[in-house]
Amino acid sequence: MRKRLGAAGALVLAALLGLGPASLPAAGQTVSPDIDELKKTAIRVFLDCDSCDLDYIKTEITFVNYVRDRLEAQVHILITTQQTGGGGREYTLSFMGQNDCRDLTDIQKYFSSKTDTDDETRKGLVKALKLGLMSYVGRTSIACRIAVDYTSPQATGPARDRWDSWVFSLSGQGYFSGEETYMSRMAYGSFSANRVTAASKVRLGLSVDTSKQRYEFEDSTVTGKTSSWAASGLFVKSLGEHWSAGAYVTADASLYSNVKLGLSVAPAVEYNFFPYSQSTRRQLRALYRLSLKAARYHETTWLGKLRETTLRGSLGLTLDLREKFGTVSLSVEGSHFFHDIGKYRVDTFSIVNLRLYKGLSVYVLGGYSWIHDQLWLLGREPTYEEQLLRLRELPMNSNYFAAIGFQFQFGSIFTNVINPRFGSSGGGGLSISIH
Amino acid sequence: MRHRTARALAAAVLTAAFALIPAVPGTAQVPPPQPGTRPSDLPRVFLDWPGADVEALRNEITFVEFVPALDAAQVRVAVSPLAQPAAGFDIAFTGLKEYQGLDNKLGYTPAPDEKPEDTRKGVAAQIRIGLLRYAAKTPLAKDLSVRFLDQTKPTSVADKWNFWVFSLSGNAFLMGETQYKSGSYYASVSANRTTPELKVRTSIYGNWSDSWFDFGDGNVIESSTDGYGSSALVVKSLGEHWSVGGYVEAESSTYSNLKLTLTAAPAVEYDVFPYSESTKRQLRILYRLGFSRVRYLEETVYFKTAESLLQEALSVAYEVVRPWGKASVELEGSHFFHNAGFNRLELEAELEFRILRGLSFEVDGSYARIRDQLALPAGEASYEEILLRQRQLATGYDYSFSAGFNFSFGSTRSNVVNPRFGNGGRSISISM
Repeated sequence: MRKRLGAAGALVLAALLGLGPASLPAAGQTVSPDIDELKKTAIRVFLDCDSCDLDYIKTEITFVNYVRDRLEAQVHILITTQQTGGGGREYTLSFMGQNDCRDLTDIQKYFSSKTDTDDETRKGLVKALKLGLMSYVGRTSIACRIAVDYTSPQATGPARDRWDSWVFSLSGQGYFSGEETYMSRMAYGSFSANRVTAASKVRLGLSVDTSKQRYEFEDSTVTGKTSSWAASGLFVKSLGEHWSAGAYVTADASLYSNVKLGLSVAPAVEYNFFPYSQSTRRQLRALYRLSLKAARYHETTWLGKLRETTLRGSLGLTLDLREKFGTVSLSVEGSHFFHDIGKYRVDTFSIVNLRLYKGLSVYVLGGYSWIHDQLWLLGREPTYEEQLLRLRELPMNSNYFAAIGFQFQFGSIFTNVINPRFGSSGGGGLSISIH
Repeated sequence: MRHRTARALAAAVLTAAFALIPAVPGTAQVPPPQPGTRPSDLPRVFLDWPGADVEALRNEITFVEFVPALDAAQVRVAVSPLAQPAAGFDIAFTGLKEYQGLDNKLGYTPAPDEKPEDTRKGVAAQIRIGLLRYAAKTPLAKDLSVRFLDQTKPTSVADKWNFWVFSLSGNAFLMGETQYKSGSYYASVSANRTTPELKVRTSIYGNWSDSWFDFGDGNVIESSTDGYGSSALVVKSLGEHWSVGGYVEAESSTYSNLKLTLTAAPAVEYDVFPYSESTKRQLRILYRLGFSRVRYLEETVYFKTAESLLQEALSVAYEVVRPWGKASVELEGSHFFHNAGFNRLELEAELEFRILRGLSFEVDGSYARIRDQLALPAGEASYEEILLRQRQLATGYDYSFSAGFNFSFGSTRSNVVNPRFGNGGRSISISM
């Protein structure tokens, strides 16, 4: 019975997809050589991608061998992504030949759209990967079993952009969880309007979030609430391969930080030591910003103010590198108020993920801040519950977070096999992905 | 405002209608090629192969334009026979103009006593493969596809480790400010072997976490949890639909009041769809019979410090990934044999659905009906343990639910990348 159900379901689905028996592969003219022998000499590939569906790629592209360590590979494929003006992603596929393919490098691109589903994106990426791999596959004897199809394009007029590069997006999200004595809920909404061209960039956004937690005790209830909203605008004009100028405009409010309404305007200028055209692989950007902000507070601050206007200068430096050996991202930002130079803060942030040697990789992810600028802190002591549930910002001189780890692998270098039986999870472990 | 919304909706409907026509141009930047009449979009190739039948090649390789002069070409292909005619050919690709630096060398070796016509076809096939990288950089990439004519076994490799992979890892996550600190640590050792016929996963792990609050005037609260254990899973494949296997597990956890649990559980699974379609769809039914010996940290609400338990569990999991989005649903029920009143029913579902191009919904939820908290300690949890969620508490259910939507319209096909002033930040996700 179950079997029949499965077959019927498969038929319906196949019909829905318009898959007919017509798409069966044409048989080769000559008797095919022993394919499993050919597979042994197939190109060894190291796929270096944080945001790809690797299981899908491995089931769709079976004419290469996948290896776990980059040094074993004949081609290291580094896939980096950047956001496009339309809200999709630009995938840059850097094919780097190694060992006996050292002479062969290539770069292919694939663009996904914001309105694509995961399935469409993974299909498009597989197509770009296949095309790029062909230069390497041509060097192995499995190449004789590859067919290339080309359909001449249909007549379509050139795409004209009625929206003049504007992209609008509205999104909302609610999250609820609970059990008999505990309940938590969060809601988030945002609207954005962006226009990104090579010459300029405009980003306008509005976001709201609110959350509530409730704990029930035998004779009492503890409730914690936070909420905030922000409206922001960013305008940037491109000035050549290294310079840009622009401005930020912001309005925001946050119960956590005791700000009832903050309004700020901040002109800024940026210099990139690398050309912007290399940004998917390397950037070293310095940004100076001068911001004028007027704020009203929920409760009187520890400095006895209910409202104030401040002028603040800040300088940030960001380095991003994505290389064969791993990812390095470092940033440092310092800022101070002009009315009192002693009120300043310095924030540092780093991500370093290195593949050091065969099978050994380490990562360090961390941030440290020196904080002497909390003008907005409450004049009173927060309550015990406000402190325990972390609902109010507390006075501090510094804060930090750090994640450090390593992984050492040895054994079989091949990772061709997908075995979904009893579920794919398990084994435990920790994974970090950075986009 | 209303006018704008109406226009937006019209646009969304229009884009959706567009999406139904196959092969809509993927880029707004590069205008799509006109049918046949715009050969300039095809890579221009100069073929340097004395005595070649260019006409035959033109019919076999339709995604490039063969040009008679080198100055007009973007790619030069030089075919030269090796010293002995039977030894084959060298095929050199040289990128010119915008393809400067994109060079490659391929070869073709004919089989003994191959017909000259087959040799010519073999060389042509290699030229076709070598030219794909150039065509992939033009708008016609979307009309090209590459197929592998065979099915291969993923294990057809020479592997001296026989597919065993060993892994050691250690991780620490720390954060703090003047009045608050927390740290968590995780370490594991694993040995896995995955082949289509057999899957073996073994691991030993430990995790520790603590947090520290300073309320001033010497009032400090510190609390910690830890857990460790090991697990092994062995699964044997029985055709495209059936698998059998077993779990062996040991676990200790302060959160769950477990000093040590040892479990052995044979299991069997049936997938309604063939396992080979697992990245597209799965409907798996798993039955598991588990025998456990449990020792508790504190005496439980049922006055036990240790007991032996037999439990059975049945789960049904459906997952599908399609062009419209993806969905997964899992239902699991379990009960203990010594008292069928101790049972649990869990439902988990996730759906990402694109209604029209530009409008998509996301729903994600779980609900558990809980009647099996055998490990609940008799002692009361402290006020702080409750607020910091460090102890399992008595409950008859738990749930979580989230729903979201996204509506986008406008120039959503714009492929411009502008990294100036940052690209909207980085997101880092850490999952344990």
